[in-house]
Amino acid sequence: MHPAGLAAAGTPRQRKWPSKRRIPVSQPGMADPHQLFDDTSSAQSRGYGAQRAPGGLGYPAPSASPQAAFLADPVSNMAMAYGSSLAAQGKELVDKNIDRFIPVTKLKYYFAVDTMYVGKKLGLLFFPYLHQDWEVQYQQDTPVAPRFDINAPDLYIPAMAFITYVLVAGLALGTQDRFSPDLLGLQASSALAWLTLEVLAILLSLYLVTVNTDLTTLDLVAFLGYKYVGMIGGVLMGLLFGKIGYYLVLGWCCVSIFVFMIRTLRLKILAEAAAEGVPVRGARNQLRMYLTMAVAAAQPLLMYWLTFHLVR
Amino acid sequence: LELGINFDHIWQKTLTVLHPLKVADGSIMNETDLAGPMVFCLAFGATLLLAGKIQFGYVYGISAIGCLGMFCLLNLMSMTGVSFGCVASVLGYCLLPMILLSSFAVIFSLQGMVGIILTAGIIGWCSFSASKIFISALAMEGQQLLVAYPCALLYGVFALISIF
Repeated sequence: MHPAGLAAAGTPRQRKWPSKRRIPVSQPGMADPHQLFDDTSSAQSRGYGAQRAPGGLGYPAPSASPQAAFLADPVSNMAMAYGSSLAAQGKELVDKNIDRFIPVTKLKYYFAVDTMYVGKKLGLLFFPYLHQDWEVQYQQDTPVAPRFDINAPDLYIPAMAFITYVLVAGLALGTQDRFSPDLLGLQASSALAWLTLEVLAILLSLYLVTVNTDLTTLDLVAFLGYKYVGMIGGVLMGLLFGKIGYYLVLGWCCVSIFVFMIRTLRLKILAEAAAEGVPVRGARNQLRMYLTMAVAAAQPLLMYWLTFHLVR
Repeated sequence: LELGINFDHIWQKTLTVLHPLKVADGSIMNETDLAGPMVFCLAFGATLLLAGKIQFGYVYGISAIGCLGMFCLLNLMSMTGVSFGCVASVLGYCLLPMILLSSFAVIFSLQGMVGIILTAGIIGWCSFSASKIFISALAMEGQQLLVAYPCALLYGVFALISIF
C-alpha cells in the first residue's frame, strides 16, 4: 500500500519539509489529498499553510486557529519549555555569581538605616562641632549597624545625595536654559568618574604609606560621598539667592566637611595613641596626619570644582 | 477572568493609592500585575501628548531606570527581598496622581507659584502612597521617609517632564 506506506514513512519527515512534500502530492488528478497526510500533520500543515505561501493546498477556508495548532505542536512545546528552563538557569547563574562581583551582604550592612539615623547624620554633616564621641561601637568584632550608632558610615545618604546632585544640576542648567536630557547623563558620568578617581587615589596613598587600617573600600566610598550633601545645599541656595547665597552656604559646608572628615578619619588612619589626643612623635604618624589632612582638604576643593559652573 | 486580569484587585489597589491617609493592607501586593500600571503609563503619555510634548522615549527610559534603582534599593534595605514585578507594579499604580498633574498642564501652564505648589503636593501624594504600600508589603519599620525620598525623586523627574 503505497499511499499508506508513504504516509507512515512520511510523517516523521513531514515536520521538516512539509512544503516540499505537499506540492508533488496534491495534484489535481488526486481525488482527496487528505488521505496521504496523517491527522496530526494535517493540522500542523494547515498551520504552516496559513503562515507560508498557500502552495498547493487549496483548502476552502483557512483553519480556525493556526496559532493554537502551532502551539499544540510538540516541537514548539519543547521550544517553549527549553526557553523557560534557559531563563530559569540564567537567573540561577546570576544569583550564584552576583556574590562574587558585588558583595551583597556587605552592602546590606550599609543600608540598614532608619529615619532617625539619617536625620541625625545630616545634622552632623552640617554641624559637626559639638559632637564629642566619634568612635564606632563594635559588637564582637563586627561594627554595629548604622541604625544603632551614628558614627557608623552608611551608603544610603551618599547614594541619594549623588542622585539628587545630578537632578539638581539638571534643574540648575534648566533654569539657565542650557538643559538637555543628555546633559544629565554627562553630569552623572563625570561625577562618578571624579568619585572613582578620588577613591583610587586615596587607596593608592594608603597603600604607599603602609597604613594598617580597617578602612574598607566601601567605608571610603561612603565617606567621600558625604560631600555631595553639602554640594546640593550650596547649589540650591545658589538657585534661590544667587551667588551670595551659594558662596555662603558652600563655605559653611566646606568647613563642616573638613572638620567631619578629619575627626572621622583620624580614628581610622592614625595610630591608637594619636587618636586619643596624645601627640605622638615619629615620621610615620606625621605622614598619616598629613594624609588625613590632604584627604580632608581635597573635599572642599572638589565641592567647589563640581558646582561652580552650575551657578551663574 | 480568563484574561488573567482581576478587575477587583486593580480597583482595590487604585483606591489604596487614592486614599493616602488610610493604612494599607500588606497582602494586596502579593499578586503582581502590570495591567493597571500599563494603563496608567499610557494615560500619562496621552496627557503629555495633549500638552504638546512628544517625549515618550524619556518617559519610558526614566521609568525603567527608576524602577531598577528602586528595585536595588529596596532589596538592599529590606529584610525580605522584592521581585522586580512588584516594584514596577507599585510604582506604576502610584503614577495615577501624576496623570492629574499632567492633565492640568494641558489647560493651565504650571510655571507659576500655584503650579509649583500643586506639583509639590502631587509629588508628595505619589511618594507617600508608594512608600506606604512598600512599607506595609515589606514590613520595614521606621523607614517610610527613607523609601519616600527616592520615590519623590522619581516622580519629580516625571513632573519635570510635565512642566518643561
